[in-house]
Amino acid sequence: MKAKSIYLLLIPGLIVVVFFLFVPILMIIVPTLKGDQGITLSRYIIFFKDAYYMSILMRTVRIGIITTLICILLGVPVSYYVAKSSPKIKGLLLAAAIFPQLTDSVVRSFAWMTILGRNGIVNSLLVSAHLFTEPHMFLYTESAIIVGSVYLFLPLMIISMVGVMDSIEDDLVEAAESLGANKVVAFFKIIFPLSVPGMIVGSVLVFTGTFTAYTTPQLLGGNKNTVLATLLYQKAMTLSDWTQASVLSMVMILITLAVMFSINKVASRFYVRGV
Amino acid sequence: MALIHLKDICVSYDGKSDILKKLNLNIEKGQFVSLLGPSGCGKTTTLRVIAGFIDTRAGEFIFNGSDYTRLAVHKRNFGLVFQSYALFPHLTVFDNVAFGLRMRKTSKEEIKESVEGILEVVDLSAYSKRYPKELSGGQRQRVALARALVIQPDLLLLDEPLSNLDAKLRLKMRVEIKKIQQKMGITTLFVTHDQEECFSVSDMVAVMNKGVVEQYDSPEKIYSRPKTEFVARFIGFENFFSLKKQENGIFLTDSGISIHIDEEETYSDREEVFTGTIRPENIELLPSDSNQTDNVIQGSIEVRTFVGKDYQYSVDTEVGAMIVNSSKERMYHQGDKVKLHLPSNKVLILKSKED
Amino acid sequence: MKNNKILVLVVILVYVFLCGPLLIIGATAFNSGNIMSFPPKGFSFRWFAMVFQSETFMTTLGISFQVAVLATLIALIIGIPAAYALSRKNYRGKNIVQNIFISPIIVPGVVLGFAFFRFLIIKLQFGVFLSLLIGHVIIVIPYIIRVIGSSLDNLDFSIEEAAVSLGATKLRAFFLIVLPNITSGVIAAFMLAFINSFNNVPASLFLTGPGVSTLPISMMSYVEYNYDPAISALSVILMAMTVLIMFIIEKTLGLSHFTK
Repeated sequence: MKAKSIYLLLIPGLIVVVFFLFVPILMIIVPTLKGDQGITLSRYIIFFKDAYYMSILMRTVRIGIITTLICILLGVPVSYYVAKSSPKIKGLLLAAAIFPQLTDSVVRSFAWMTILGRNGIVNSLLVSAHLFTEPHMFLYTESAIIVGSVYLFLPLMIISMVGVMDSIEDDLVEAAESLGANKVVAFFKIIFPLSVPGMIVGSVLVFTGTFTAYTTPQLLGGNKNTVLATLLYQKAMTLSDWTQASVLSMVMILITLAVMFSINKVASRFYVRGV
Repeated sequence: MALIHLKDICVSYDGKSDILKKLNLNIEKGQFVSLLGPSGCGKTTTLRVIAGFIDTRAGEFIFNGSDYTRLAVHKRNFGLVFQSYALFPHLTVFDNVAFGLRMRKTSKEEIKESVEGILEVVDLSAYSKRYPKELSGGQRQRVALARALVIQPDLLLLDEPLSNLDAKLRLKMRVEIKKIQQKMGITTLFVTHDQEECFSVSDMVAVMNKGVVEQYDSPEKIYSRPKTEFVARFIGFENFFSLKKQENGIFLTDSGISIHIDEEETYSDREEVFTGTIRPENIELLPSDSNQTDNVIQGSIEVRTFVGKDYQYSVDTEVGAMIVNSSKERMYHQGDKVKLHLPSNKVLILKSKED
Repeated sequence: MKNNKILVLVVILVYVFLCGPLLIIGATAFNSGNIMSFPPKGFSFRWFAMVFQSETFMTTLGISFQVAVLATLIALIIGIPAAYALSRKNYRGKNIVQNIFISPIIVPGVVLGFAFFRFLIIKLQFGVFLSLLIGHVIIVIPYIIRVIGSSLDNLDFSIEEAAVSLGATKLRAFFLIVLPNITSGVIAAFMLAFINSFNNVPASLFLTGPGVSTLPISMMSYVEYNYDPAISALSVILMAMTVLIMFIIEKTLGLSHFTK
């Protein structure tokens, strides 16, 4: 294949992506930097000095971090178990993780509304067990968002780690055991460190996913627990404050990219070590 | 004029280092020619240049008098057999073989006739409705061959076609290929790294190294008279030592022993230094009290290994370590003093590197 | 190790957590009462009937379907040549081009939606449906490039060379030889792109207008004001579609593709 004709095949796709993705994004970002004379960061400085915006940013980051940590905690052992299962069981467990992943996020959030709601399953269980006298409000809290987010992204963590766990040879654990490590020590000294690259990839996906999610915080968080994504929608569509929405867009893009690059930097160190 | 004429072909993948460096090769019509060399020597690159998959940086490729250097692959009419066979997995054996004819808009009846004919030649008539994955390695190989031959190519190109077969099948297939080639009289270029395979079927062999043809000769000639140290090493010479020319037919080793050499192709001046070589099995191993005096080097046995037919000795001599194969009749032990007789008709003088 | 009791317990709990909610939704869909309740009271298909009689759901389902199919087809048409070009030998700028095609995944969904809204609807004055379609083409391109790219990476390109050496032009070799051998990748890419377009909320949110909305968006506004098993019934229908898509992916690419 001659190089010239290769470029021709790329051109339609590149034109579409550049014209309908890069141009629109530049169009919302450039005006946020425009001042009376040249470039200004004043809109960003105002944003970062505003206590209300900061509390929303902090909430969003907090939800993202807690969700990611829970996903790691649950994802590592589960993905190890899945990877080392017999092919049949493995296929089944994988399918059971992929299924929610491919199910509409509205459906998935709605499921938790029925579970956590005032007349939901948790409340009716607790009331009938006489632990509560009247229904407790689980829904529309930050915790509800976190539960919904873990539910949304745990499959992603499991799926992205199974591949890494797959590539860890059983020999290594056996070698460690032959050298005197017991099974628990072998897990923490061998499996855990070797699964770090997969964990990092999964964490980036989970964090950026949670950080930018709209559906789950909207349905499970209600109006009190605004996050960046729901704030952006409010600003843009309810309040028609396009400048503020653009500032928010830029903040979200930058934080997403910063997290990806910094975590990938850490990951590349592990790859250098040949892990 | 030769059928294939490669002139000063240069190829580089990265624009910096050349894979082929001014390669020249002429192939006569009807010949079975092999490109032989270690991996990375440029033999497959040469074949792909001829097939048209690789653009040359410089040089030209003349085929049957016309310039093919820039001709599109699909216009060349060369039959190609790939190392992986490259059978189309979604097509039956019949459709695989018929593909080239369909591209040539041959009529249905003709396609049927030609395909059935060639499948008969490769003994696969019963398999025409099967898919490639339902065939054994040897059968796939024959489909690949049939597919390349049915278009009546002007040239048949074989890229290590036997390397994926087991040893027994390899022997059988190379005879098959040679038979079909002879029957159809088709000019064939065969790429391989296996010298035995290559010598057994070829009319001519081009031994390649680092992007150039080091020697282009008949297999017999290459086997008995390598011209360069690389070729000599590649075909099993293991002993190399420097020789300084004294007069025609007489050379001196570094240690001052004079060696008579019968055949000397390299005409040169006195005092010029060459590399001499001899096959391990051509050295005569004698006890130190032997009365042989001409062409003799003194040494002592370092290691003895058993290599089936013979014992092989590593001998520490005044011109360096020498490998000698010697019959089982007499066994030497480590430390034994021995004489190495280098028969004057077995020592070869190699071209110096610069040539 | 694998049979450690604590590990097994964790795995069971996690899978109950993953599958339970969807099973509960499934159960509530067959409620015969007027309110959501679990365990369901009675058994009926009335909520399914209600969904099929709802004009909003049926219209938006139709739009979601049209957008997902059209966007995927357009993305395939521009994505297959690009994936092919990306899978061939290295050339300068290949990484950058690859990243450009993957970039829609990196941009947060709401930002995408807002940017599309400002550019397509406000600036270019495109109609709502066209804007929605263009937005979804951009959203699904990365899936097409990735899945077809990985199918092409696994293809032995010597079959293409063989076809050309037998007299086929590059174009014919592609359609007669390359394409038939990556059909499973194309089908899987279609399915993945389709489901991701169909399920998209954040970008679609900004690209709805009078008479034009997608099913997930209309479901969202429905649950904000109503709390009845209609959404459960709809969820069951969507889950059935997901199962079908998963089955097709398993038969073509294999579900293990997701772990790569």
